[in-house]
Amino acid sequence: MSLVQTDNLCKTYHPETVPVHALRDVSLTIERGEFTSIVGPSGSGKTTLLNMLGGLDLPTSGVVRVDGIDLGGMRDGQRIAFRLRNIGFVFQHFNLIPVFTARENVAFVMLLQNRCKSDMLRRTDALLDAVGLSDRKDARPRELSGGQQQRVAVARALASEPKFILADEPTANLDSESAMNLLDIMERMNRDQQATFVFSTHDPRVIERALRVVTMVDGAVVKDERHGDE
Amino acid sequence: MKALLTIAWRNIGRHPARSGVLLAAIAVGLWAGTVSTGAINALMQQRMTYLIESEIAHVQVHHSHFPQEFRGADGVPEYQAIETWLANDGRVRAFASRAIAEGMLQSPIRVSGANIRGVDPEAERRTTIFHESMTEGEYLDSDVRQAAIVGGPLASDHHIEIGDRIVLTFENASGELTAAAFHVTGFFESASTEYDRRTVFVRAGDLAGLLADQPIRHEIAVLLEDETQAVALAADLNRSFPDTLARTWRELSPELNMLVELGDVMLFIVTLIIMAALAFGILNTMLMALFERMREIGMLMAIGMSRRRVFGMILLESTLLTALGATVGMVLAWGTIRHLGKSGLHLDQFAAGAAHLGWDSTIYPFLTTAEYASILAVVIAITLLASCYPAWKAIRIRPLEAGRDL
Ligand SMILES: Nc1ncnc2c1ncn2[C@@H]1O[C@H](COP(=O)(O)OP(=O)(O)OP(=O)(O)O)[C@@H](O)[C@H]1O
Ligand SMILES: [Mg+2]
Repeated sequence: MSLVQTDNLCKTYHPETVPVHALRDVSLTIERGEFTSIVGPSGSGKTTLLNMLGGLDLPTSGVVRVDGIDLGGMRDGQRIAFRLRNIGFVFQHFNLIPVFTARENVAFVMLLQNRCKSDMLRRTDALLDAVGLSDRKDARPRELSGGQQQRVAVARALASEPKFILADEPTANLDSESAMNLLDIMERMNRDQQATFVFSTHDPRVIERALRVVTMVDGAVVKDERHGDE
Repeated sequence: MKALLTIAWRNIGRHPARSGVLLAAIAVGLWAGTVSTGAINALMQQRMTYLIESEIAHVQVHHSHFPQEFRGADGVPEYQAIETWLANDGRVRAFASRAIAEGMLQSPIRVSGANIRGVDPEAERRTTIFHESMTEGEYLDSDVRQAAIVGGPLASDHHIEIGDRIVLTFENASGELTAAAFHVTGFFESASTEYDRRTVFVRAGDLAGLLADQPIRHEIAVLLEDETQAVALAADLNRSFPDTLARTWRELSPELNMLVELGDVMLFIVTLIIMAALAFGILNTMLMALFERMREIGMLMAIGMSRRRVFGMILLESTLLTALGATVGMVLAWGTIRHLGKSGLHLDQFAAGAAHLGWDSTIYPFLTTAEYASILAVVIAITLLASCYPAWKAIRIRPLEAGRDL
């Protein structure tokens, strides 16, 4: 069974007034351990697709299954709990709780999972070390650079040991060095920990490094290529 | 959950000025409300104590017709037997029997209505503190025959001086008009100018002698060792002497009852104001905070924070903020009331008017533990209620807010 599978996913905004077909019949599968980027021009439906995959929004028609479980068949509260256990998120902005330090931000999601404390502390430290923030663990988000903030977000997304991580333009606000650095970290996590990543991007240098590139135009998948080291 | 408390606490610190203003508003509002409740209490208590101590005492016995219509003939039946009964009851500290007549006071220059009260000076001294109201001259226990004391304002209306003769006219027990001359030996000033303008005190024996052939008393005022026994004692008296009517001070003085009720109404209004201000402050601040943190809360729900926890987080934040303000306000109020309770609050600027209505110009604010508790309970209840709305708003934020571009 595929990790994530969508069948004829459609999303139409404002169906009554001026319908915007953000997704048209998207059927896609994501396998464990993949490192997939979703690319396409602005307005092509990348964010919309990621929102559907993460259960942040529901499709107008079609189904999203994660490990065979239909996200649309859950109540809102169940979907929140499902996200907590199964999906990691990295957003473009507003990833972190501003009043928490890097360490607290990473630990918080595990706290929500009611993990045991020692496990939590160990994992938080290991993850922050892994994203290269050993010396910034007690800094608050506003004391960190944009790249550093995104690295905390990646650490936070991994902390909950999700089945896969969704990242919507994680590098869009970063200078190219920070962007490459973030990508290095994501790649390493993918390679060493078999973490599954699905991320959207505009950036050609980022696209270059993806193992699988799904291209969207006008809400439809027009190309799905795998390359590189498989 | 400790982490929620940490978030809530740090979020309060995020806008020190805004949180500070709400905190100060809660503290000041609660302080003012609580202290004024204490002051209202003191005014009520002072008035009550004064009326009880100066005239009403705890229980009074009258003829059973007395409440409907006062007639000179309606003395307390078997009043001497009642006096003996009272003298033998351990709950009674003292009692004083009074003869009463409604009539007129005539001086060389004018005539005015007068409430004539015949008292036994010795018994009255033991039962009430009225003798302390003397401003000039001597109380009725002088050896002047047919002595009378009149209220200061009444005396000045009539240009009466000590040693002057006045004529009191009233109906006797058989319905005939009787007039008698009395010698003014002193002036008094009670807390009520109204009362002083129409009251004349004479000795009970003198008045009773003019009223009827037999000894007659219209009223017996009873002072108890313990006020709380008033109801029981009145009931016992009514059982033992069916032709008479014994009533407690609460029943006797509609003014006092009204006062007690007024006090409750004032407390209610003060509480209402505190409540409204509190609710408004919390709603305003929390909704503002919420509006700023839409994306943050959306992000928290996106990564899997349950609605219950988001709700709790917001509730905790406003509760914490209010608890801080309320603690400061209550401690300040407690300190203020304790201080004023000892040193007294001087109402000198209002005293001219206050004295007219029977108030002293210094009051000693106090608050019972129950009143402190009920104010606190209201604050807690309102805080929780007012916080529920922002918290409910918070859980309706969609996780999508987090992903949306700037
Ligand atoms: N909440 C919404 N209401 C209405 N229309 C929306 C909403 N969100 C997205 N759309 C529309 O759906 C289409 C797809 O939007 P989406 O945000 O998924 O594109 P995108 O590929 O992520 O674009 P970008 O690269 O600019 O982020 C666009 O036409 C957009 O205007
Ligand atoms: Mg987008």
